[in-house]
Amino acid sequence: MNKKIAWLAGLCSVGVLAAGSGEDKQVSLTIYNKNLALVEHVRPLALPAGQQRVEFPGVSALILPQTVSFSATNLELIEQNFDYDLLTPTKLMEKAVGGKVRVVRTNPATGAETSEVAEVLSTTGGTVLKIGSRIEVLRDDNLPARVIFDKVPDNLRARPTLSVLVNAAQPINEDVRLTYLTRGLSWDADYVALFEEAKGALSMQGWITLANTSGTSFTNARAQLVAGDLNISNSDDGWYEQAQARARRSTGTENGPQNGSQQRIADYYLYPLKLPTTIANNQTKQVSFLDAANVKASKGYEVTFVGFQSSDEPEAAQVRVRFSNSNAGGLGAQLPAGVVRVYARDSKGQPQFIGEDHIGHTSAGSDIALRIGDAFDVTVTPTLVQTTKVNKRSTDYQMSYLLRNARDAGVTLTLRQIGLWRVNEVRAESIKGRRTDADSFAWDVSVPANGEATLTFTLRQGW
Amino acid sequence: MRRTLVALLALAALPAAADEVRVISPRPDAVSITVYRDLFALVTETRTVDLPAGPVTLVFDGVVDTLIPQSAAIADAGREVAESNYDFERLTPANILKKSIGKSVTLMRTNPATGRVRQVAATLIAANNDGVVFATEDGNEALRCSGLPEQLTFDELPDDLKTEPTLSIRLAAGSPGKRQVRVSYIAHGFAWSADYVGKLDAAGTRMDLHGWLTLQNLTGSTFRDAQVQVVAGRLNLLDADEYNGTSLVGDTAQYSTDDSLDEARTYALEDMQDELEDEPDDVEYFAGCYPYGPGSVRREAMAIVDSIHAEDIGKFPDSSGEELEEVIVTGFRGSMAVRENLADYQLYRLPVHTDLNARQTKQVAFLHKPEVKVERFYSVRLASDEEFVDDLEGVIPLSIKIGWRNRVADGLGEPLPSGLVRLFEESAASSLFAGEDRIKDSPVDTPIELRLGTALDVGLSIDNKDEEPALTPLALLTRRVYLPLHLRASNAKARPVTVEIRQGPIEELEDMRVKGASLPTQRKFGDYMWRLTVPANGEATLSYKVGGKAPSDD
Repeated sequence: MNKKIAWLAGLCSVGVLAAGSGEDKQVSLTIYNKNLALVEHVRPLALPAGQQRVEFPGVSALILPQTVSFSATNLELIEQNFDYDLLTPTKLMEKAVGGKVRVVRTNPATGAETSEVAEVLSTTGGTVLKIGSRIEVLRDDNLPARVIFDKVPDNLRARPTLSVLVNAAQPINEDVRLTYLTRGLSWDADYVALFEEAKGALSMQGWITLANTSGTSFTNARAQLVAGDLNISNSDDGWYEQAQARARRSTGTENGPQNGSQQRIADYYLYPLKLPTTIANNQTKQVSFLDAANVKASKGYEVTFVGFQSSDEPEAAQVRVRFSNSNAGGLGAQLPAGVVRVYARDSKGQPQFIGEDHIGHTSAGSDIALRIGDAFDVTVTPTLVQTTKVNKRSTDYQMSYLLRNARDAGVTLTLRQIGLWRVNEVRAESIKGRRTDADSFAWDVSVPANGEATLTFTLRQGW
Repeated sequence: MRRTLVALLALAALPAAADEVRVISPRPDAVSITVYRDLFALVTETRTVDLPAGPVTLVFDGVVDTLIPQSAAIADAGREVAESNYDFERLTPANILKKSIGKSVTLMRTNPATGRVRQVAATLIAANNDGVVFATEDGNEALRCSGLPEQLTFDELPDDLKTEPTLSIRLAAGSPGKRQVRVSYIAHGFAWSADYVGKLDAAGTRMDLHGWLTLQNLTGSTFRDAQVQVVAGRLNLLDADEYNGTSLVGDTAQYSTDDSLDEARTYALEDMQDELEDEPDDVEYFAGCYPYGPGSVRREAMAIVDSIHAEDIGKFPDSSGEELEEVIVTGFRGSMAVRENLADYQLYRLPVHTDLNARQTKQVAFLHKPEVKVERFYSVRLASDEEFVDDLEGVIPLSIKIGWRNRVADGLGEPLPSGLVRLFEESAASSLFAGEDRIKDSPVDTPIELRLGTALDVGLSIDNKDEEPALTPLALLTRRVYLPLHLRASNAKARPVTVEIRQGPIEELEDMRVKGASLPTQRKFGDYMWRLTVPANGEATLSYKVGGKAPSDD
């Protein structure tokens, strides 16, 4: 029927005959974020009646064997095995212990070959052979000796193979369905965003990046991707991954309530790929899923100080690009977690990379603030002018922040003073600030082009 | 019957997918490389392709093999991009064997006595890190376990092994014809840094400042006639392993100072260089055998990789191409990189297109300011966080400093990317290395101070080391104490010098204040500061009182 079966049949010709399934009629992949995928193979199978073993070569090498399920109408499943005892010279010799091999020696002087049958007694620390009535260690004389094995044991394989023992009540010829979970397939979203500051706009492309390290290629597979962090209890590193997931979610994104356009299953989003695709082993594949232009976006400068101290060195302000994925603002789609790489045009109009940030799974209607990097030309130098202890529990801190802007345009810089003690209040300030939460304040300071501004305030904190 | 037909159709679909129209672009027409300090570059290639009307897979040969596939983007294709693939299974001996499992190979056996070579048809059954097993009409054998010279030859190269990494992009149908498309991607293995050379005049008031960009291409790719630029600034970058980000040194946001980030980059750069010099991993693959007698020599089994018949399969990039080329330093003296703003960073563009060869280091000037007004002075900071303060015996060391303000009025006024500044003192007779220090990214108008070393001829001593604070009734009542300080600066040089004394925070004194200074008191970066002019071969004094509340126990 096809080469593969012929080949397998050839391999097993000396051993127990096992039927092999045909090529995939259809492969379906459901790929989760966390290095996990559900694979479904549909393969034609023709079997005579009776109890027999059926092999499914070409399954993922990183299959989780306990998750295999096999469905066929007229077959009774007796047992299933995932055999992946790798065929190596050492294994081959180990499995030959107690059996016979042929040893072919070449006479170094004449080149003449002599062949003898030997019984393999042991392979520990050296291969011990019994040839006729004599016992010898293989090649202990350092002379050439070929060892020929008549058969390769069935359970030693060059490639991962799943085998099931079935009982067919009658001869069958039907399509069987094989499903299992596997490691080695994962996906991520990657975004390319071009920020056009002058227009206040962002154009954004989203790519699904599929990576296949499962050791197996999947040809013309129907793939769908699931966004959302699944709890995987048997994962070795479950708590760590969950902690990571929590950390990812905590980047500057506020999840919103709107419904995006994607299909949902339970609490996850599903992204089916439109066309069947081939995912080769060790391939990185990207499939486009989002292309949006003219998303409203703005840039902001921010600098955050914890505690009160002076510094000789100016601190650079952080640049953030803010946009929304609400229906009104532009994107209107929920965004699976991934890396956003941001570009801006240089003077020749060529996009240049300016920084990247990670977004968590973001529902539609959320406001997103991407960290881009440090502004070269916008800096803040903090000076603690004076401290005055008011009473045992509280102290006044008089701060003076020198804000410099070497850009040709004025900027507004948000300066945050965070991590204050339990009791805190602003006693005096050069411009009006605002309390942002129980232990932080923020001031929005305008700094003129090629100029500087000074923010001073006195903050009392205590406990 | 019908079922069979369906099965046949399914099979027929496979070659059809492979026969899909592929247009191969062997090389770019033009390339632009933007190098960042974080060990990567953005490569933008312009390529001309002739597109058919139907769906097409564009194959871009010759991309940099360190590319980050997720960063690949195509522009100006005029069509919808369906998918993009990055395939890179290197053509290595190990991969040829792995990909040839189940295929026919030819085994060449040399008879040790006669030298006669016998060719045996074989089928490769297994090939992995622990050895190779093949089948012949005799039976099954392990490769190179017999002690006889054996080598495998292959009829053809496995299809999906490539001598070069390939980026391919599947495009939807559209109007046919020649198009210029732009492909861009981020690739690791590039770096740049800024280096400065300052020449001080004899008086120490003027500096001739040169800035150099040092560019490194650590990859094996050579770029001809490339437009090269570098970006100065600190980008937010994510860890390459954890987030599939771009950074090889973890999230850049986790580095609280530029210095710690610089250090991490330096280590990563060294690792990268070491890796390039290392033997490829493949060499010891496929070397395993079953155990045989202790008297036999295993070395021959290890040599298997060399024995694969090379003629049929061309060059092995891994075993022959990895030798590090000599580092070439090319100077573009006379023509300078041109600066522009890129978003919130500085971008320096090389003035002419240039070749950037594999493993090459290149230097280009980006700054020359012949008359920068500088000040040479001697400085000391008295504060709890300065190391020497615990041990104020004898003469307090003073730092030699060169300071300037980065502004046009003082002969500069250009952004200065972080880097090492080396200063030389020019005299009529010779030039003398005066010391070096690092600067941070410094925008225009920032004050900059470099510490060149410790002064020998200029010192400071405390005259009243043993004096106790006066415990007046008021001091006891308010717990506010004042410690008088009498400082004496001495200058053994034949010209007058300026000494700057800074009084920083003292841990033992809460709400620290300074009063009663013998010279006008200024503030500098939160410290109290005085400037003394010390005459040639002379002395100058400063006295002040530093005080505050003794910390309460509660």
